Amino acid sequence: MTANAASSAPVLKLQNITRRRAGRRAVERISLELRQGQVLGLLGVNGAGKSTTLSMIAGALRADSGSIELNGQDFQEYPELARQLIGWLPERAPLWAELSVSEHLDAHGHLRGLSGAKLREARTAIIERLELQPLARRLAGVLSQGQRQRLGLACALLHRPALLVLDEPANALDPLQVAALRSVIREQAASGTAVILSTHLLTEVTAVCDRVAILHEGALRHDGQIHSDDHAALERSFFDIAMHGNVGTARAA
Amino acid sequence: MNQALVNTFAVARLEWRRLIVRPLAWVLAAITLAWLAWNFTLLMGAFLASQIQRAALPDSPGFTDLVGVPLLGQLAQLAFLVVPLLTMSVIAGERRNGTLPLLFAAGVPASRIVLGKYLAVLGWLLLWLLLTLMMPLVLCHLTSLDWGKLAAATLGLALMFSALAALGVACSTFASHPAIAAAAALIITLALWSVNLGAQMAGINGGAINWLAMSTHLQPLLRGLVSTTDVVWFALLIAVSLSLATRRLSSEKERG
Repeated sequence: MTANAASSAPVLKLQNITRRRAGRRAVERISLELRQGQVLGLLGVNGAGKSTTLSMIAGALRADSGSIELNGQDFQEYPELARQLIGWLPERAPLWAELSVSEHLDAHGHLRGLSGAKLREARTAIIERLELQPLARRLAGVLSQGQRQRLGLACALLHRPALLVLDEPANALDPLQVAALRSVIREQAASGTAVILSTHLLTEVTAVCDRVAILHEGALRHDGQIHSDDHAALERSFFDIAMHGNVGTARAA
Repeated sequence: MNQALVNTFAVARLEWRRLIVRPLAWVLAAITLAWLAWNFTLLMGAFLASQIQRAALPDSPGFTDLVGVPLLGQLAQLAFLVVPLLTMSVIAGERRNGTLPLLFAAGVPASRIVLGKYLAVLGWLLLWLLLTLMMPLVLCHLTSLDWGKLAAATLGLALMFSALAALGVACSTFASHPAIAAAAALIITLALWSVNLGAQMAGINGGAINWLAMSTHLQPLLRGLVSTTDVVWFALLIAVSLSLATRRLSSEKERG
C-alpha cells in the first residue's frame, strides 16, 4: 500500500499498545489516532514513556501487546511499512560518525528503498531545504549537536514519509534553528504529512501542534485539541498531570 | 529487485562504506600485507637457495608447496587476529552508537542486518586474500604453479575467512562492547583451532574431538585435498553462527 492510499483511514492508529521495560510497564494501553496533516505533541516528564512510544511507532521496538496501524494496515504484521511511510528522528540524532552528511543521506535513502536518480533528486532537495550544502562533505562525527539534529531531520524527511516521528527535535537547537524547525514541521503538515513530536517544551507544542497528548507513568492521561493562545491552560494540564496524575486533580482538591 | 535483497545490499553497502572510511581496516591491511610481502621474499629466497638440492630429488616440492601454500598458511594465522578486529564493531558498535534502532526502524529484518554486515566484512576479507594471492600469482609465468593445490588452499582460506567472519559477527551481536566482542571471537577461534590438542598429545587421532577442530578441516585443504566433510564443517559453523546472531538481534528488537 502506498502513502496516499486509504486516505480516509487515519495515518496512524494505536490501540492499547503496551510495553514492559526492565520488569515495569513503560507504556500501558495507549490508544490514539493521527490523520493526514495533523501535528500531535507528546508531552510528559522524563520516564513518562514518550520515547518508548515513539520507538514503537517508528518500528524500532516491538509492542508487547496492542496494535499499531499505518494507513489502515497492521504495522506489526507488515514491519516493512515503516520503510515507506515513516520518517523517524530519534532523541539525540544517532549518526555514523565516520560517514559524511551526504553519505548519511545516501545510506538512509538505500535503506528506504531509494536509488539512482530518485535518490539524487531527494538528496538535493532535502540538502537545499535544510541548508546543509556547506556541511555536505563534512563527517557526522565533527558536527555540532544542532547540525546533527538537522542531519537527523534530513534523513527522516528524505523519502517523503506519510508520518514524521520526532523525538525531542528541538534539543540543543538555538532560537534560529528552532524557528527553522517549526517552519519545516508546519510545511510538512501543510503537505499532508502527519507529525508526532515529543518535547519537554510547552512553547514548542503551542507553536506547532494542533493536538496534544500528555503521558504520565506510561499511560495516556490527556488527548485534546489545543490553540496557540492556550498556553496557560496547557501548562495547567501538564503540571496537574505531572504532579497529581490527572487533569484538574489539584484544582478539585 | 526482491525486497530482501534490497535490504541486504543496503546494509552491506552501508557497512562496506563504514569499513573503508575507518582507518582500522587500512592499517590492518597495510601491516599484514607488508608482513606477508616480507615473508614472501624470505620464502622465495629459501626456495631459490634450495633449487640445486631439489633438482637432484625426484618428486621434490615445487613453488606452490614451498612458497604459495606456506604464505597462505601465514595469512590464516594472521586472520585469527584480524577477523575479530574487523568484526568487533559491526553490531556492538552500532548498539553503542545508538544507530542500531535506525536499521530496525527502516524495516530491515534482523536476518538481513546480520547478512548484510557479514557480506561486507567477507568482501573485505576476500579482497585481502586476493591481494595476498597476487604475490605468488605474479610469478606464475616464471615458475610452474600447481594450480589445483593452490585452488584448494585458496578455497580453504576462503572457507576459513567465511567461518571466522560469521563467528565474529555473532560475537559482536552478543557483546555489549566491541572490545569484548573481539576478545570473545579470538578466544572461540583459538579454542576451535586447538580443541583437539589434548587428544593429539594423548595419541588420539580420530573421533569427535578431532572433528570439532578447525585445524582438522583446514589442513587437508592446504595440502590440496578437498573433501565434502571439510566443506560441510565450515558451512555448519557459518550457518550456526549467523543463525545465533539473527536470533539475538531479533530478540533485541523484542526486548528493546
